[in-house]
Amino acid sequence: MSIDPFLVWLESTALSEWVVGSPSLLAFPGILALHAIGMGLAAGLAAVLDLRILGVAPGVPLVEFRRFQPVLWGGFWLNAVSGVLLLVGYPTKALTNPVFYLKLVLIAAAMALFVRIDRLIRSSDASAPATARSLRRLAITSLVCWGGAITAGRLLAYTYHRLRA
Amino acid sequence: MLHAAQIWLVHAIERHSPVATLMRTHWAWPIAESLHFLGLSLLVGAIGSFDLRLLGVARRVPIAAMHRLVPWGILGFAINASTGLLFLLTEPDQYLYNPSFHFKLLALGIAGVNAGLFYATSYRQVFGASPSLDAPRRAKMIALVSLTAWITVIVCGRMLTFYRPGDCVGTPGVLLTCQPR
Repeated sequence: MSIDPFLVWLESTALSEWVVGSPSLLAFPGILALHAIGMGLAAGLAAVLDLRILGVAPGVPLVEFRRFQPVLWGGFWLNAVSGVLLLVGYPTKALTNPVFYLKLVLIAAAMALFVRIDRLIRSSDASAPATARSLRRLAITSLVCWGGAITAGRLLAYTYHRLRA
Repeated sequence: MLHAAQIWLVHAIERHSPVATLMRTHWAWPIAESLHFLGLSLLVGAIGSFDLRLLGVARRVPIAAMHRLVPWGILGFAINASTGLLFLLTEPDQYLYNPSFHFKLLALGIAGVNAGLFYATSYRQVFGASPSLDAPRRAKMIALVSLTAWITVIVCGRMLTFYRPGDCVGTPGVLLTCQPR
C-alpha cells in the first residue's frame, strides 16, 4: 500500500501551501529559524547537563541544574511544533527518506535518556557510586544521540530522493 | 570604498582560496554544516545557561561555578568560526554580498564586545573574594544583550539562504547586497 495519496492530499492543504509557498519571512524561513533556536536550547542544555555529569563545572550541584529544565523542554516543544510544520510543508521529502526516521528515533532516545537521567538525579542515592556510574553511561549515550540527531537533521537536505509527491 | 573592498575580497578569495577544492567534494560541505550546527548547540547550551544564571535562574548555584561551562561555549564558537570560514572561503560572493551575512557579522561583533564588557566591568563582583549570589544589575543587562545577540546570529545564519544576492540593478546602499557585473 502506497502512502502517495496521503502525501498528495497533505501537500494540497492550505497549511502546507502556506508553509512552502508564502512569500512571508514568517513562513518557511521563520519556521526554520525557530527550529534552529529550539535545537540550540534542547540539544545545548542537554549537552551541558551531560558534560556536568561527566565532571565539567563540578561546583554546580546537579539538583540545582534542574532549574534549567524548563528551557530544555521549551526548546523541545518549540521544535516539535516547528518540526511538524516543516513536515506538513514537505511531507514527501521527509517521509520517503530513511534518515528522517533515524533522526526521530535518535531524538526520542535522547529525550528518554534525559528523563531517566533526571529521575536518577532526583533519587535519594544520587551520589552512590553505582548511580554515578549509571549517570555517566547515560550522559555519554545522550551526547551520542544528540550529535547523531543534529547530523541526521542537517543531512536531510542532502539525502532525500523525492521532494514532492 | 566599502563596495570596492567587498569586490576585492571576493576576487582575492576566489583566486587564492586554499579550501574551495576540498569543500566542493561530495560530502565536505554537508559535514562542515553538521559541525556548524553541533557547535551552535554547544555555544547556546553553555553561554545561554550562563547568561540565564546571571539573570537569576538557578540562583543557588555560585556564578563562578557556572562559569566553568563557558570554555565549552568558546569551543562551540571555535568550531563555528572554523567551519564558517570554510564556507566563506569557498563561496565568498554568497556571503560577502548577502545582507543577512552583514547583520550576522554585526550581531557577532555586538556579542563579542558585550562579552568583553562583562569581564571588564563585572569580574570583581562576580568572581571576587565574597561574590554575591545575585549578579549585579550591569551583568544582568549584559546577559540579556548576549542572549539577544546570539539568537540574532542564529536567525541571520538561517536566513542566509533566503537572501542570496542577485545581480545588481539600480543604486546600491552602503554595502553591496547584490552581485556586481
